Order: sequence, then structure tokens, then C-alpha cells
Amino acid sequence: MTHVDDIISGIDTLRPIPPVAAQIMALAEDENSSMVDIADLIVHDPSITASILKICNAAHFGLSRQVHSVRDAIVLLGLDEIIELVLLNATAENFRDEPDGYGLGEGELWHHAVISAHTAKILAENHGFAARKHLIFTAALLKDIGKIIMGRFVAFSYEKINILVHAKGYSFSEAEKEVIGINHEELGARVGRKWRFGDQLIYMMRHHHMTDETARGNPETALVYLADIICMMIGFGTGMDGLAYRFYSEVLERMKLSEKDLQNAILNTGYRRQKLDKLLSLV
Amino acid sequence: MLNAYISHQPVAVMTAVNFGELKMSRNPAETLVAFSIGSGIGVSIYDPMTKSGGLLNFVLPDASMLSPSKARIQPYMFADTGLAAFIDALHDFGAQRENFKVVLAGGAQIIDQTAEFNLGHKNYQAITSLLKAAHLPVQYADIGGISLRTLRLDIGNGDTVIQTLGQTEVTV
Repeated sequence: MTHVDDIISGIDTLRPIPPVAAQIMALAEDENSSMVDIADLIVHDPSITASILKICNAAHFGLSRQVHSVRDAIVLLGLDEIIELVLLNATAENFRDEPDGYGLGEGELWHHAVISAHTAKILAENHGFAARKHLIFTAALLKDIGKIIMGRFVAFSYEKINILVHAKGYSFSEAEKEVIGINHEELGARVGRKWRFGDQLIYMMRHHHMTDETARGNPETALVYLADIICMMIGFGTGMDGLAYRFYSEVLERMKLSEKDLQNAILNTGYRRQKLDKLLSLV
Repeated sequence: MLNAYISHQPVAVMTAVNFGELKMSRNPAETLVAFSIGSGIGVSIYDPMTKSGGLLNFVLPDASMLSPSKARIQPYMFADTGLAAFIDALHDFGAQRENFKVVLAGGAQIIDQTAEFNLGHKNYQAITSLLKAAHLPVQYADIGGISLRTLRLDIGNGDTVIQTLGQTEVTV
């Protein structure tokens, strides 16, 4: 087994996404699916029902009355919010294992995943991709799942990576690739393949740092990238890698995003932070 | 004074100053800390005579350009509205501007971040020109690069500490 095979075999240590959440992800990616299809899946799954009711009835969630069924929750919160809760609940457990090596504090990778997913969704709604927002949300939520496995390998090679980044101008993921043989976005895409995610979701996870020029023309991937760089600039959930990724102004230009749009997105992310902090404590 | 946080804790305490927040203190047992500063800038101002000070953790350069209405809700997100509120809060403490020790940390940039979108640089330009207009010299600034920083202000002795991930900390 090569070193890279050894790393890839670490995928088996993750807890796979529950089948119903995987089906929701597949429906979110399918342009022919409807919200009714997704609602049906949620309503008929007992484990999802239990977790949604638990979250919605927590005192701090702030609902004005007790929720007795998923249908109730959908009426009160809207289906969009319920879909997001299902996806967050399905992925949270993996992110509870902190990836050492990236210098992240407790819960920081999960915090970054949730904030960037919400930021990506708002960007999608504001810039003409509302119909794809669940896919974009999911890709932003899962884009760094490879870091959970990569962490200990990054820790072992940190000195070499650090020299490439700080003395040779490499981005952090270019240095991961050079030193370890695979980077966290490639590994994340392999997780997606193993868990049978759809092609587009895997593509967005694989290319969220935009190192591939073709990906820079893909608007859904661009929105995930933008959400990621916004979180980096704010300092949300990045560690030793900091802001050591590449900025491609052409991505913003193709999306017709101005400096003001970028700053507004940062402001909106700050505005939602308290609400998201509450949500994070419940999922 | 605006609705800035003021600590009255009697025992040793470390208080986080999240991005978009201003926190003030004259509790000698308190340390204010802004963790994980990226392209935003942590501004520490301390008056050794009154042993009081605060930390502003802003992330955007100019409220008047972006959204004066949103700045009324989140004044500490911005250099201009944040610094104005900070100076008012220091005066409310009886701090004298000629004593102010000003330290800045942050303004990091993504690799190849072009001028138009270079928020770290714009934040630094904004805060230095606002401080200059207010006749407040900067004692120490650690700005730019690609790493996150943590900025701490110990209210008891006025030590301001900058920690860049992976590097030795600097005490001012």
C-alpha cells in the first residue's frame, strides 16, 4: 500500500451520511426533482423526524410553540430550513472529530463548514442561483471533509508544508499535494465518490479552491469558492493554513460581483453569526 | 457612549472579542482577546494612567461607502464607525488621548488578492488614515501576510500581545 493509499483508506473511518440525507442531496442536485419529493422523504423517515423535533423543541431554538410533527416544523420554519437542518444533522458527527494538524480549535472546522454553507446559500439566492441553493449549501458544508482524514498527515509534514507556503509561495493545498501526495480537496472528492454523491457535488468539492482553470467558469463551484474565501478573510475556522489559498479575481468578474458585493456578503455573514451560533449548539 | 460591552468582573477573566465587536474594560484582572483575525484588524487602545482600554475587531473599511443603515446596527464591523465609538467609549472612561497606546494586528491577504478586492490592505489604509485624522499615533502594527493573528490586551498592565499562528508571540 502506498502512502497515498494509506491516507485514502482513512475514508473508512468516517461515518457515512445516513441514506435519507444522501437521497436528499441527490434530489437537491436533480433539476427535475421538486420540493414535494424532498418533503416526502423527510416526513417518512423516523430518525430524521426524531432529530428535527428534538432540535425544533429545544428552548433556545426560539419557536413560539411546541412542534409535534415534521409537517408542523415545515409549516413553522419552511421546507428550506428543514432541509438544511437534515443536512447539518447528517454531517455533524464526522466534524466532531477534530483534525489535528491544521491548528484548529475545538469545533472550528464544523463552525467553518456551517458558516460557509450559509454564506454560499445566501450568495446563491442573491446572484441568480436560488434554484441550486441546496446543492451549493451541501457542497460548501462538505468541501473540507477531507481535512478530517488529512489532519494527522499534515501534522507529520507540517514543517515541510510550512516552508513551501511561507518561503516558496505555494498555496496550502499545493503544498499538501507536493509533500503528502494528495490534498484535502482531492480526498474530499474521494469521500464523495465512496459515499456515492452525485457528479456535480463531487466536482464542487474537488474544485472549491479553483486550482483547475475550467472550474473557474462553473458558477455553482464559484459560489462555494467565494463563501470559502469570505470565511478565510473573516478568520472563521481556518487554522495553520490561514489565508494561504489563491485568489482568482476572474471568478468574481465572471459572476459580475463587485468589491461592494463582496463586502456586503461579509457584512451579511457577520449579521447572521449569532443565529448560526445558536444553531451550532443544537445540532 | 454606544452600547459597547463594559466588563465589571471582579476576578481574573479572559473575554473574547469576536469580529464585529468592541469590548471595553477597566477591570485589572481582565484580558480582552480577539482570536483568529484574518483580513479584518484588531485595534487595541490602552490608557496607562486610568488603566483602562478596549479592543475593536473590525472587518470592513468604510460604512459610509457600504451601508450607513447597517452600520447603525453593527457599528463595530467597520473601521470608521467602530473607531468613532471606540474613542467615545475611552473618553467615557476618563482616558486621555495623549496617553493612548495604539496597537494594530491583522489585515492578512489571500495569495494573489488583487488591489480592488484586497480587503486586508483597504482595512489597514482606512484605520491608519482615521487614526491620523484623530491625531493618534500607532505604537506598533503587525499587518499583512497570509496568517491569522490573535491580539490580547491585559488591562492590568497594558501589555498588548500579538500571536501569529506558528510564530513566537510579540509583546508590546
